[in-house]
Amino acid sequence: MKKLSLHPLTWWIWAIGLAIAVIRFDNTVFTICCVGAVAVVVFINRENAPWGKSFNWTLKLSAWILLVRTCIGVLIGVPIPGTTLFTLPILPLPSWMPGIRIGGTVTAERLTSALTEGILICAIIVIFGAAASLTSPHRLLRVLPVYIYEFGISIVIATSVLPQLVSSVSRIRQAQKLRGQSLRGFTSWRRVAIPLLEESLARSLDLAAAMDSRGYGVNKKRSRYRPIKWRAADSAVVCTALIVLGLS
Amino acid sequence: MIKFSNVSLIYPNSTTTVLENLNLEIAEGEMVLVIGPTGSGKSSLLRLINGLVPHHTGGILAGDVSVDGSSTQLVKPGGMAHLIGIVGQNPANGFVADTVEEELAFGMETLNLPNDVMRKRVEEVLDLLSLAPLRDRSIATLSGGEQQRVAIGSALVAHPKVLVLDEPTSALDPIAAEEVLSILHRLVHDLSLTVVIAEHKLERVIQFADRIVHINGAGVAQVGTPEDILLHSPIAPPIVHLARALGLKEIGVSVREMRRMTADIRGKEYIEKDAAPRQNGETIIKVSDLSVTYDGKPALKSLSATIASNEIVAIMGRNGAGKSSLLKSLAGISHLATGFVDVSGFNPQNLKGKERRSTIGFIPQEPSDLLYGQSVQIECDQADKDNQMPNGTTAQILQQLVPGVLPTTHPRDLSEGQRLGLALSIVLSSNPGVLILDEPTRGLDYQAKKELTRILIEFAQATRKCVVLATHDVELVAELATRVMFLADGDIVADGTTLDVLLSSPAFAPQVSKVMSPQPWLKVSDVVAAIQAHK
Repeated sequence: MKKLSLHPLTWWIWAIGLAIAVIRFDNTVFTICCVGAVAVVVFINRENAPWGKSFNWTLKLSAWILLVRTCIGVLIGVPIPGTTLFTLPILPLPSWMPGIRIGGTVTAERLTSALTEGILICAIIVIFGAAASLTSPHRLLRVLPVYIYEFGISIVIATSVLPQLVSSVSRIRQAQKLRGQSLRGFTSWRRVAIPLLEESLARSLDLAAAMDSRGYGVNKKRSRYRPIKWRAADSAVVCTALIVLGLS
Repeated sequence: MIKFSNVSLIYPNSTTTVLENLNLEIAEGEMVLVIGPTGSGKSSLLRLINGLVPHHTGGILAGDVSVDGSSTQLVKPGGMAHLIGIVGQNPANGFVADTVEEELAFGMETLNLPNDVMRKRVEEVLDLLSLAPLRDRSIATLSGGEQQRVAIGSALVAHPKVLVLDEPTSALDPIAAEEVLSILHRLVHDLSLTVVIAEHKLERVIQFADRIVHINGAGVAQVGTPEDILLHSPIAPPIVHLARALGLKEIGVSVREMRRMTADIRGKEYIEKDAAPRQNGETIIKVSDLSVTYDGKPALKSLSATIASNEIVAIMGRNGAGKSSLLKSLAGISHLATGFVDVSGFNPQNLKGKERRSTIGFIPQEPSDLLYGQSVQIECDQADKDNQMPNGTTAQILQQLVPGVLPTTHPRDLSEGQRLGLALSIVLSSNPGVLILDEPTRGLDYQAKKELTRILIEFAQATRKCVVLATHDVELVAELATRVMFLADGDIVADGTTLDVLLSSPAFAPQVSKVMSPQPWLKVSDVVAAIQAHK
């Protein structure tokens, strides 16, 4: 199937629309459906490029956030009355911290409320992660105005260096394995982090120097080699988000 | 065109000047080659031309550098973009767009050129560098040589008057390197472009250069014609060493000139040296029916080979022929689709920890991947601890390999050669049976290469040891390998003694053999030995 070639802003507008709709609806079933739909769109439409692969990381990240958020929500917070599931020991806190309680009775209501809030946060992350993985950062840079050029340089550096980080990590870990080092535990990551940090710093400097010596940002006006046009398909994608937004 | 007047340069926190009082004028349409040992300031000299040094790097610059009348003191690098095209050491780090065509257009977009001009120029450059078939390709999928061409192309579209290239052929195989250099040669002659180029592999570029700037590392720079500079320079391609060894009065810088000068030497009859009988050492590495695939594409196709003790096997072939895949399979870090690998009786995939270290020593393309300590001392101690050796063993090996490395230096601050030396001594400290090196000579100067050759030959002579290395460097292979395996498209297309394989292909023949053909000599010492035997 030929993939849609859309305007770089399309998916971002779409994402903003969906995010607002999700917040306005504030309905867990709708939110989960929305995340599912977004994931399907990404898996069908994403390109085989470094930013395309970033969606998997977004999913992992949001699952992790959901987990941590729920645990904290259950442990700390205002007790909500309802059906008791189980009781945790209460951690004694000094008297100058009134209103905060760690531990205590965990009710089904408290668990659901923590879960619902967590799911909402994760949905927003996933929706914007989808926009990021569907849009080439380089093309996005081309439609952004030149006067935010320092911002532009940072975007290009962040988006082209970060995906390379992933491949550098596996390369360095491989080399460390060949040195007969164990790949488990915290110290193994420290061994990876140092070469990685140094390499990505050097890489970013190289890129900034290359952009500078090619005159980026010297002229406030910039011509377009192949102007990116807004097409019917773009409007269609944006419309789907607007319809969902209208329903909310 | 380019004028350096009384230029001195010193970096912050450094006690030595990189350049001292350099005066140099480069005329329009000249091709100037910058040579010097690693870390001597070649890159700094190149980056001074468009002001990246000191605007981007810091440092104190005395004197003045001006290009076409505009001084880098007054104009920032961005303002020079229409005048100077610069291609860095690693072009892949400088790409800003996704596809070839967009990358080419980027520089013109920033210069705000009208659309019709851009279209015309992109087409011109696509034709000039034969990039037309690649125009819609994603840059990440191109080979090293193609990326290098795209980088040159994106510098050329702005119609600069000066093109600056930092080691443009260091990552390329001999054929791709030749392609890039002949394009540069044509640009100099057709468009009168001024080209400044830094390169270690002199044998590749020397014949194209009009003048040489030789930096010795202590701030002193010599400028002159290739013949003048190379006559006494310690940095010289094999062809010049040949002229010196034969005691010729003049030196030639191209194979053609040297052939004219040596016609009488070549013409004589020589006693044919008996080919050393191929030792049938014990088999150390055995590979059979090995296939590896990446993302569904085959990288190695059902490959079988055995490597015996005391062999130094050079694996050659184009970029993307499967050299690295083969080395990784030998080291046991590739997933094998079919077949098996056996190294000294072990399956390398199951090796771990100390057992792995004492069986296989692997030096990756970036030796710094192995290093993570904050100083040379910490690295050496770690290696001693890992191998349960008395303290100072690794440091001692390091002192033998590369004398004069301060233990307190951070590994990043070492020169390329020293860093390779450090990685090698860490690997050698565990006394592995097999040493595997992936492209060890990238960025190494002749002195460092000579050291490496000595170390590897010494290593391979011990009992039950062998060396496998992948490289593009024909001259290195001629100096040290006992056997060459030539890969193409994941298959072994040639496998034999170095002499047989290298002489059978003109593109991969070393300089000495090109000069001395049809005599079967690969290196200067072969020629000298044969002449002495004749006398």
